Amino acid sequence: MSGVLPTLDDLPGPVTEPRKIRRPFAGSALFIAMIVIGVVMLYPFYFMIDTSLRSESSFLNGGGHSLDSWRALDSTLPWGQQLINSTIVCLLSIGIILVCSSMAGFAFAKLRYPGASGVFVAIIAAILIPVQSIVIPAYVDIAHWHLLTSYTGAVLMYSAIGTPFATFLMTVYYRSLPDEVLEAGVIDGLSYPMIFLRIALPMSVPALATIFVLQFIQIWDDLLIGLLFLQNTSERTITVGLGALAAGRTTDIPVLMAGSLVSALPAIVVFLIFQRFLVNGLTAGIGR
Amino acid sequence: MTTQATPNPRTDLPPAPTRPRRTRLHRGRSWVGLAMTAPAFVLVAVILGWPMLQAFYYSMTQWDGITATWVGPSAYTHEFHDPAFRRVLQNNALLLLAIPLALVIPLGIAFLLDTHVFGWRIFRSAYFLPTAISWVVIGMVAERFFAAHGQLNSMLSAVGLGFLSTDFLSGERTALLAVALTFAWSMIGTNMIIFLTGMATLDPHLAEAARVDGAGGWQTFRRVTVPQLKRFIQFALMMTLISAFTALFSLIFVMTSGGPGYGTTTLEFFVYQTAFAVGQFGTGAMLGVILFVIMATVGIVQIVLLRTKE
Amino acid sequence: MRFEYASRIYAAGHRPAVDRLSLEIADGELCVLVGPSGSGKSTALRMLAGLEPVDGGKIYIGERDVTDLAPKRRDIAMVFQSYALYPHMTVAQNLGFALRVKRMPRDEVKRRVEEAARLLELEPFLKRRPRALSGGQRQRVAMGRAIVREPQVFCMDEPLSNLDAKLRVSTRTQIASLQRRLGVTTVYVTHDQVEAMTMGDRVAVLHEGVLQQVDRPLDIYDRPCNVFVAGFMGSPAMNLLPGRRVTDGLEVLGSVVPVPRELGAPGTSGAVTAGVRPEGLQLDDPGRPGTIPATVEFVEELGSDGFVYGTVEGGQRITIRSPGRRHPSIGSQVGVRLDPAQLHVFDGESGERL
Repeated sequence: MSGVLPTLDDLPGPVTEPRKIRRPFAGSALFIAMIVIGVVMLYPFYFMIDTSLRSESSFLNGGGHSLDSWRALDSTLPWGQQLINSTIVCLLSIGIILVCSSMAGFAFAKLRYPGASGVFVAIIAAILIPVQSIVIPAYVDIAHWHLLTSYTGAVLMYSAIGTPFATFLMTVYYRSLPDEVLEAGVIDGLSYPMIFLRIALPMSVPALATIFVLQFIQIWDDLLIGLLFLQNTSERTITVGLGALAAGRTTDIPVLMAGSLVSALPAIVVFLIFQRFLVNGLTAGIGR
Repeated sequence: MTTQATPNPRTDLPPAPTRPRRTRLHRGRSWVGLAMTAPAFVLVAVILGWPMLQAFYYSMTQWDGITATWVGPSAYTHEFHDPAFRRVLQNNALLLLAIPLALVIPLGIAFLLDTHVFGWRIFRSAYFLPTAISWVVIGMVAERFFAAHGQLNSMLSAVGLGFLSTDFLSGERTALLAVALTFAWSMIGTNMIIFLTGMATLDPHLAEAARVDGAGGWQTFRRVTVPQLKRFIQFALMMTLISAFTALFSLIFVMTSGGPGYGTTTLEFFVYQTAFAVGQFGTGAMLGVILFVIMATVGIVQIVLLRTKE
Repeated sequence: MRFEYASRIYAAGHRPAVDRLSLEIADGELCVLVGPSGSGKSTALRMLAGLEPVDGGKIYIGERDVTDLAPKRRDIAMVFQSYALYPHMTVAQNLGFALRVKRMPRDEVKRRVEEAARLLELEPFLKRRPRALSGGQRQRVAMGRAIVREPQVFCMDEPLSNLDAKLRVSTRTQIASLQRRLGVTTVYVTHDQVEAMTMGDRVAVLHEGVLQQVDRPLDIYDRPCNVFVAGFMGSPAMNLLPGRRVTDGLEVLGSVVPVPRELGAPGTSGAVTAGVRPEGLQLDDPGRPGTIPATVEFVEELGSDGFVYGTVEGGQRITIRSPGRRHPSIGSQVGVRLDPAQLHVFDGESGERL
């Protein structure tokens, strides 16, 4: 290719930075819109924090902030005990869910046996069973089997409800594991359960984290099961405690708000830490 | 070194196999597979499957939790004549009207976020945060928000729409509206994430091609982006539908207790009320069965639609 | 080790993936299984490793019948195409894993791992995870994992396929010299016939599950036993030309070529396929006696020599090697001279060598 090239004198200097595209108007309008949406979405937090920092009278009549309601919280709600209860119930249930779903997911994905698809469909179909449909017979059954003591009933319920979707997620995830890595395990002399424990399970930590977040929020925030299966006030979860308080028409709103913040905080903390996994989990249901 | 110079003379070969063999190794693997799926299966079958069957049975009985007297399928027909039941179904239907709102708004927000404006990640977390809050808490806040002297009314007056203010929670229809709006609001975060993820998987070249062809921003969105998001929209729709039918219990419990009257009693709340508040477990079970049938239908329809679109 | 009429069929009604393969491999030999995709070579390797069940026939390692044994009892080690390294373990852990499973004493494990790392120049990477390694380094770890086991047989499933071309060539020689040094019997699967030619003590060509020929590389090159092997081995491929028997020899490309040796009994039709490699053809000026006229379509210049792709009358395509740098230009007419000594003749119907 020949042509007239510019001489060295005509050449522009080297480029040192990218040129900024001039669209300031669109950018800031967008930003303002985002802020507005943010206000709408985060309003409840503002409300909760603001309200809880008032005493009841200042709430009703307008007035300053104080810590009265927070102090009153202790006498209205045994929140410390209930937080512990919530934590125990959550961790126990999630533990069972993770064990059952990871084993089953691995087996469905990598170990075939006759009738496996049938079992798989049966477990996955259970996702469609609404809690309300089975809660009454399940309650009667569990009472009948004398399992209403302590956390057992609630933990069993939460585990059973969370397992179908968790199994689905784990199956999808394990399907994506390359067979060759597992075959390497076979060649290296591992038995199938060991391959699961020492190779597949460590590789599936992201999926396990996803299930952890999803279930934690669901169980922590649940009302119905807790109401029915944890009737003993000393075993109540914080959400149930709060719900009972609220439905009892306690009119001291700021105290309720303080209680709400206490109950919401752990779930929010877990959420913030594990956000990424939650997103992955939601969308695993759609992708192949 | 031995050499096999040419291929085997094919005349004296044993016959070729016609089917695969099941070896001992294979069977060992099958047993392990079975054992590993057993815990999940047993758990689900005992706690979910069996009670579901029981629900079918009890639905046709008069049951107070201890003794059950058979009534038969007439229990269903009897219920369909119950005006309260009719009202409940109506409420559910009306609630469904909020669903488009719960889809369109997140779609718009996702589109805005997808432009990756400064700080979009923080905004995304902020919008998603309400998902972590319990319905109980949301219900309490919403209750204050929609109350006679609540925030909504104050805002309306401030903007000059004071004539619209009322005690939302004391009118049947308005209470339902309040619940519906709260429901839509809380689904925004989840659906937004679904759509955002969908947009992230889209091929940017398609939108660029549209731009080259002269389409404006809105047109590109409507004609190019949205059709590609079909699967995600479907998924979001399914999740929202399932939530509308099964997840609102706590919200209603705290916000309105189903009232005023039967104004905000949806089917799932009605189940709880009939069984535990009124004590008619048989009827409660029946309502539960009806709920399940609706869910199953919705679920199957969704799956079929998803399959046929492939 | 040997395969004895070993077969694998996936589903009833389909052709077997591996059809009654019988192959004997000597101790310390590197035998390459080569063939196009779907030929059953990977399946055969996996049957040897124990990852695929054997539906017919037997497999022996040494004197042991391993047909129904689990992989861990067979004393084999495998290098996978995708390397299959354990992502959550370090290189050192990956290397030593199989030994720890066998509960080998810790210092023995350490010794073997360090020796393998030294052999493969992996010492600086022992503490890294696979995701922090390049493709070539991962490949070496995969090899190391197999070496550490000190097995009776190495199974290698296309270990070079995922490397870029240049790395492939250098790694090829490393693997071959490593195998020679360690003296372990190796079965090596590849679809690349250049790898087969350069690495194997012997090469076994498979097609659609059936073993076509097993021989030393040059023997396969010089005396392919059927049309498939002739066309598969050698790059660019051998020219396969339809022809006919006539009284004086063969009629190919419009001219009669004398046949230098006794051909077997004629088939019913007398149709043959004549094979001649690009280097068995010579370029000459068109019209010279004894040449076949051809039009040049394309010329590949490789630096050391070139290949001329042309067509003759009637549309038949041929490839001719053109040594040196001077090649005819596209569109020109050339004369092609056939050297009868380099002619391979195959039966027109069965494809077998005559």
